[in-house]
Amino acid sequence: MAAKSITQEYLKGLWDENPVFRQLLGMCPILAVTNAVINGIAMGLATAFVLVLSSLVVSSIKKLIPSQVRIASYIVVIATFVTMADRFLAAYFPPLSKSLGPYVPLIVVNCIILGRQEAFSSKNSIGRSMIDALGMSTGFILALLTLSSIREILGTGTFLGHQVLGAWFKPWIIMILPAGAFITLGILLALAMFIEQKTKARS
Amino acid sequence: MNVTARMIFVLTTVGLISGALLATVGMLTQERIDLNKQREIEAAILQVVPGTQSSQTVFEQDGITVYAGSDGQGNLLGYAVLASGTGFQDIITLMFGTNPDLSVISKLTILDQKETPGLGANITSRDMFLKYWDNKDSVNPLTLHKPAVRTAGELGPGEINTITGATISSEKVLQIVNESLNAVKNLNNEGKLEKEDKHGR
Repeated sequence: MAAKSITQEYLKGLWDENPVFRQLLGMCPILAVTNAVINGIAMGLATAFVLVLSSLVVSSIKKLIPSQVRIASYIVVIATFVTMADRFLAAYFPPLSKSLGPYVPLIVVNCIILGRQEAFSSKNSIGRSMIDALGMSTGFILALLTLSSIREILGTGTFLGHQVLGAWFKPWIIMILPAGAFITLGILLALAMFIEQKTKARS
Repeated sequence: MNVTARMIFVLTTVGLISGALLATVGMLTQERIDLNKQREIEAAILQVVPGTQSSQTVFEQDGITVYAGSDGQGNLLGYAVLASGTGFQDIITLMFGTNPDLSVISKLTILDQKETPGLGANITSRDMFLKYWDNKDSVNPLTLHKPAVRTAGELGPGEINTITGATISSEKVLQIVNESLNAVKNLNNEGKLEKEDKHGR
């Protein structure tokens, strides 16, 4: 791997290798829990917690794990942190835990997490893996935030539960239904591709 | 060490450490999670049987839990019935309050549901649905009023309003209430709601 500066290692998660818009990983939570901004934020933070800690553990024990059982070991590590996050939410933020429902346990199978362990943490130093995980988490949170803001504002006329659009606004119920998630994601992906092509054409 | 032994060793170690961690976290959070659940139920009892000072479980079986709500002097104010059943998409858990002789439903509240957001999920909305459940005559099974009306006054004493666009969710809630109310009435007739012979909570 070519030597990247620490800043580059972090920033690549925000745009160049953004887990959602560029790598198209972690689509399940992106589509499922972005019907309200608070759900998006909670899911983003829970995923970030799991990603950063899993990267820490995997990058520190990478030499001890035989490659034949690496995936199984990574999954056990990831599942441990996910269960911890799930219990923590249930104990301290019961309403959030309720509205996220089964999607917290499902972080285990979020490809972005296993993907980063396999593609990055298992081959890089602890420090770099942490930076990479932080960058990817930030990118993931930003994507969740973008999607959930659009869906909540158009779907219920509110942002974080506060009314932002006046009484004239008739909520587009479709935006908080699954179809709205696909439509929004599709438009955002097209936009990301468009910007990417423009930047490439210029350079 | 050969590869097989190493594989077994590594996976076992990872599993053991993970198990130990999870057991710790589980023990540390269990108490609080139980407390949250209990608080949620207590808040719901207070909501559906207003004025409740103390409540105790008088019956618990087959997915129905009946709590008796009493005032400070120990007079029975009414029962709170916790019941659940199939909704349009997933299990709906609700609680309703009754007067002591089960002839009036005082209030309904929804504890858990996963109905369609924006449509069926409106069963949790006081304005659109729950307010039409206040003080309903429950001597006979309740019925659904279709099409939806705008004021509670347009409904008969045993009639419940429908949510436009979410008839099935409305029907399911009605069904859960009617079935559990019927079960509780039978229990009452059999004298199983006496709170003296049950330990308090």
